[in-house]
Amino acid sequence: MKIHILRVALTLVSAATLASAQTPGYTNFIRQIQTSTGVQCDVTVAARGVQGAILPVGSEGSRFELWTITNPPLVSYLLDTKYVGAFIPVAVVTIHSEDPYGPVLRTRADRPFSVDISVSGLHNALKDPAPTKYVNVLRYVQSYGTNGTGVNLDNSHATLLTQASITQDGSQTLSYALTSIPGANLSKVCGEERFSVFSLADRQTSVAQIASSSIQIWPVADGALAGLSQGQLIRLAMPQVTVTLNDLYPSSTTYVQVYHGNPQLGVTGKTVPGSILVLNETVPQCRVLTLKGYDAVLDSEGLWTMELLTLTPFGIDRLAYVSFNLNRMIKINSNLTTIE
Amino acid sequence: MDRLPHSRAEPPPKQAQDLLSQSDVLCFGGIATLVPKHAVLLLPKSMANRSKFTTGSTLMSWAEFYAKNRGWITTVEVSNEQAAGTQPLDAEVSHRLKDSIQVVVATYHGGPISVLSPKASPSAPAPSDPTEPSPSKH
Repeated sequence: MKIHILRVALTLVSAATLASAQTPGYTNFIRQIQTSTGVQCDVTVAARGVQGAILPVGSEGSRFELWTITNPPLVSYLLDTKYVGAFIPVAVVTIHSEDPYGPVLRTRADRPFSVDISVSGLHNALKDPAPTKYVNVLRYVQSYGTNGTGVNLDNSHATLLTQASITQDGSQTLSYALTSIPGANLSKVCGEERFSVFSLADRQTSVAQIASSSIQIWPVADGALAGLSQGQLIRLAMPQVTVTLNDLYPSSTTYVQVYHGNPQLGVTGKTVPGSILVLNETVPQCRVLTLKGYDAVLDSEGLWTMELLTLTPFGIDRLAYVSFNLNRMIKINSNLTTIE
Repeated sequence: MDRLPHSRAEPPPKQAQDLLSQSDVLCFGGIATLVPKHAVLLLPKSMANRSKFTTGSTLMSWAEFYAKNRGWITTVEVSNEQAAGTQPLDAEVSHRLKDSIQVVVATYHGGPISVLSPKASPSAPAPSDPTEPSPSKH
């Protein structure tokens, strides 16, 4: 009977977690791991659906891991874990980002994110065993390294940043202004943060990860415009401009625009042909673009500004700009005389 | 985390967080799947290359992959105890493993499952002792 009840609970858990794993291009797996023996079994279901656990929950409980795999590159991501046991509290960890992309959560190094942690089923009587009275929340950070993408990441090298205890049922939200992944240049760090809830060990049960969730952190983009100098006077054709783009956010639209006048934020100008770069990737990108033959968008003389902009889920950022003077007018001084 | 009472308890051991390293690959004809390590009980030498992921292959669930590859994959239903290594595989299953020219995958109610080495009776035939080596190393 106990096993039956636990199976029903698992069904609900699976339904909840699968809701976040439906993006095309990912293959999802649910793996059940028996804590007592280490036996692993795939309980994979469709991206939408509900199914009871195949294996009965073991004597020391079972851990259910929701994985998604991208291909190519062949990389696995642990989206969620749930521990099901007889006396272990239930916990749910949900991370919120300004970027709605899924199933792998992500944000940028300069952006805030928050974590909801909900715990239920805790006991508080003196006679209750320790694993039923409180759980530990652990926050891990791990850098991907310079230009890292997280492929083949060894999570055993993650750094435990903080840990805290929860002794009462309830929900709480932890808000972070930005990531704590270490790095010399905080705007350029890339890596991931993981929040895990663990039960306690006692004579009968070992430490178990009850719930876990992670978020990827990607660096802030930068870029440069080369080929035009500040204040340059353009007399004839526009010069070739080289656009260098570094660490473009995985889902972003980057373009170059020109408008009359001095540099000014928030201005919508004319997009330079051949400069639009739309990304829908899993990792940041670096590119170099060459712009030439774009004279037609500069339809009048005077002071112009060329801007390099990137549009991300966090808004529009100006990566570079340069102002120049355009004067293509040719004055012909002539004198016509007759001899009579 | 700052609003939670800090704990000085010993942090729990970190868990492996890579499904690929905990799985065996089956790949053929441009499609592939993953099964838990030690779920492949027999991999004939003539099909050894089907345990490696071929770049460009489409990854799919076990059920979908098996349905398309029944010609060279067969399954053996094992019990919970056999998977945990507390009971040996049935003699009939051991015979099948010796004679099979197909890849043999252990399943529990149709789902691929890892089969651990027997613990109860060391003299019993090892479930992961196929006539030809499987891709999993114990």
